[in-house]
Amino acid sequence: MNKNKLSAAARREENWGWIMVAPTIIGLAVLNLWPFVQTVYASFCEHLGFGHYRFAGLDNYVRMFQNAEFWKATWNTIFFCILTVPVGIILALFIAILLNAKVKFKGGFRTIFFLPLVCAPAAVAMVWRWIFNGEYGILNQVLGQEIQWITDPKTAVIAIAIVSVWSSVGYDAVLLLAGLQNIPKTLYEANSIDGAGKIRQFFTITLPMVSPTMFSVLIMRLMASMKVYDLIYMMADETNPALTDMQSLMYLFYRSSFVAGERGYGSAIVVWTVGLILLVTLIQFWGQKKWVTYDI
Amino acid sequence: MKRIPRMTAAALMLALLLSLAGCGSADGKTHLTFQIWDVAQRDGMQAMCDAYTAQHPDVEIEVQVTSWGEYWTKLEAAGESNTMPDIFWMHTDQILYYADFGILADLTDLYADEDPSYYQNHFSDISVGNASGTDGRVYGIPKDKDNVVLVYNMEMFDAAGVAYPDENWTWDDMMEASRKIYDATGKYGYMAYNDEQLGYWNFVYQNGGYILDPETNLHAGYTQSATADAIEYYVNIQKNDWCPNQNYFAETSPGTSFFSEMGCMFFEGSWNLLNELKNFPEMVGKWDIAPLPKCPNPASGDGYGTISNGLCYSTAAKGRNLEIVKDVLRFFGSEEGQRIQGESGAAIPAYLGQEESWSTVFNTFDYVIDVQVCYDQFDHAVQYINNASRRKWKSNAADEMVKVYAGSQDIQTGLANMQALADAYDTTN
Repeated sequence: MNKNKLSAAARREENWGWIMVAPTIIGLAVLNLWPFVQTVYASFCEHLGFGHYRFAGLDNYVRMFQNAEFWKATWNTIFFCILTVPVGIILALFIAILLNAKVKFKGGFRTIFFLPLVCAPAAVAMVWRWIFNGEYGILNQVLGQEIQWITDPKTAVIAIAIVSVWSSVGYDAVLLLAGLQNIPKTLYEANSIDGAGKIRQFFTITLPMVSPTMFSVLIMRLMASMKVYDLIYMMADETNPALTDMQSLMYLFYRSSFVAGERGYGSAIVVWTVGLILLVTLIQFWGQKKWVTYDI
Repeated sequence: MKRIPRMTAAALMLALLLSLAGCGSADGKTHLTFQIWDVAQRDGMQAMCDAYTAQHPDVEIEVQVTSWGEYWTKLEAAGESNTMPDIFWMHTDQILYYADFGILADLTDLYADEDPSYYQNHFSDISVGNASGTDGRVYGIPKDKDNVVLVYNMEMFDAAGVAYPDENWTWDDMMEASRKIYDATGKYGYMAYNDEQLGYWNFVYQNGGYILDPETNLHAGYTQSATADAIEYYVNIQKNDWCPNQNYFAETSPGTSFFSEMGCMFFEGSWNLLNELKNFPEMVGKWDIAPLPKCPNPASGDGYGTISNGLCYSTAAKGRNLEIVKDVLRFFGSEEGQRIQGESGAAIPAYLGQEESWSTVFNTFDYVIDVQVCYDQFDHAVQYINNASRRKWKSNAADEMVKVYAGSQDIQTGLANMQALADAYDTTN
C-alpha cells in the first residue's frame, strides 16, 4: 500500500500501532535477538572467564565435530525425538478423540490428563526417579524385574522419553481436542448417510480436518524434544554411568558452559542445535503442503 | 469496549513507571546482602549478623539462601555485571577462578592494624590456604573447617557381633567388618561410591600418594604408583558383594541408603552430621562416627589422612559498601564471630581454639555422637585439592572415573587419561 495514499488519520493509527507493539519488539530484540547474535559470536571465541572472550576462529567447531561425545549427544537427541514425538502425538490424538466422545465425567478426565502439566517439573522428576529406581522402584516391583532404568545405557533414553510423553500428552491432547471440536458435525452426518463406517470416517474426515492443529502440535513438540534438558538434568546424576548415552545436546551445552566454564564451546553446540531445529522445521514446512489440509 | 483516550493511557503508563522509582531505601541505614547456599546454617549466619548489628545499629544485614545448584551460576553472572551480594560464601573449588580474575576483594591486610599476622596466628595453614588465591594473597575470611569421618550403624555392628570402629582401624578392619555384617544381617557394608572428597582422595593421601603435587600444586599425580594403587583399591571395593555398584549409587546415595538402614558404613563430611541428626530423628542413637580407617601399608607416611575443606566469607572487589563490609568481615573473623557460628551448630569454626563450641548443639540430642573425632582428625588433615586449572579438567576426569567404574575402561587407561587431561592444562595454566 502506498504510504502517501494514507490519510493523516490513518497514518496516526499506524503510528500508534507501532508504539503499541514497540515494547514487545524491543523486548524480543534485546532479550532474544541480541543474545543470539552474541552467542554466535561467542561460538567463535574462547571464554577466559567472567565474560572475557578471546577470538579463536573455528577452533570450537573443529573440536566439536571431532568429539565423539558430541555426536553421541546429537544421536541421543534425535533418538529421543523419534521416541517421543510420534508416540506422543498419536497418544494425544487418541486421548483427544476419547475426550471428544460422549463419556461421563468428561470434565474430570480432562482435568486428570492435564494435571501433569501443572506439576512442578522438579517434583515430577523426583517422583519418577524413585519409580524408576533399580533396586527400590515401584516399576521394577510391579514388573518383577531388576531393570536399571536410568543407569543402563540401553534403557536410559527410553525412561526419559516415558516421562516426557507422560508430562506433555495432556497439553497436546487439549490442543488437538480444540482442533477436533472445530470439525463441523455436518461432515460426519453426510458421510454416514453415504454409508461410511467409523474407521473410514476417522481417516477421511477426522485426520484431514485436524491436520492443521496436528501440524502445530508437531512443530512445537519436535522443537521442545530437540531442546530437552530439564528432565535429563533432574533425573541423571553426574555419576550416572549412562550419562553419555542419555545426554542431549542442550545438556551437553549446560555441562560445557556452566560446569566446565567453556562458554565458547557451549555456544558452538547451541549454534549447531539451532541449525538442526531450523533444518527440521524447514522440512516440516515444506512437508505441510503434502499432508496438511487447509481448505474446506 | 470504549476506547481509552490516548492521554489517559499515557498517564497510566507513566504512573506504572514511576512506581519503580520507589525502590530506594528511606531509613538511612546501610543495607547489606549476605548470600549463602545452606539453609541449615541460616540461623547461625543470622545470629552472627545480629551480633554485629547490635553494636552497629546503622547497618542491616539480610541473609539470603540460594540453593547450591544455582549458587555459582548466579554468582558468576553477578560477578560479570558487578551486582554481587555484599557478603557471600566462597568455596575452595571456585575461589581461584574468582580471585585470579580480580573479582574478590583482597583481604590480606584486613587486620593489619590489630595484628599483621592475624591469619597465621588464629587459623590453620589449611584454612588460610583454602581462602587464598594463586598469588598467595588472602581473598576470604576463613569461615569453617571440616573433614571426612566414618559413619557407622551401631545396631548392625551389634547384630553381627563386630566391635565398633576406633582410631586403630585399618582398611582391612573395615573390609572384614563389612564382610561379617553382610553375612550376618544381609545389609551392605562400607558403601564406597564414586566421589572424590568423600571417597578416593582420602585413600590416595592415606597411602602417601597425591592428586596434585605437594610442592607446587601444579602437577597431577594420577599415574604415580601410590596414587594409582590407592584408587585401584578403592574402585575394587565395589567388587565385593557387600558393596553396591555405581548403578545403585547413581540412584541412591550412600547417605540415603544408610539412613534407610540398608547399609552399615559410609564416609561423610562433618558438615552434614547435624542435618542428619535433625532429619532422621528415629535413627538418633543408632549411629555414631569414628575416624577414617588408616592405610595398613602405606607407600609413604603414617597411613592417616582425611580431606579437609573450609569455606570463607568474601566480598566483591568493586562492591559499593566495601568499607562497611570489610568491618563486618573483620567481625566474622574475630573470636566472638567464630564462636557464635560454632555455638549455632552451623559448622566447626576455623578459628583456632573455638572448634569445640560446635559441640554445644550436639549435646542437645538424646544420643551425643562422638564429635571429638572431628576435632582430633584435624591433626591428619589434607587440604582440599584444587589449583587454577583444575576446574577446566575436573568434570572430564570425573567422566573417566565413571567409565572405570562401569567397567567399560580399565583403571590404568582411565588414570592415564585423567593424567593426560590434567597435563594438557598444566603448562597453559
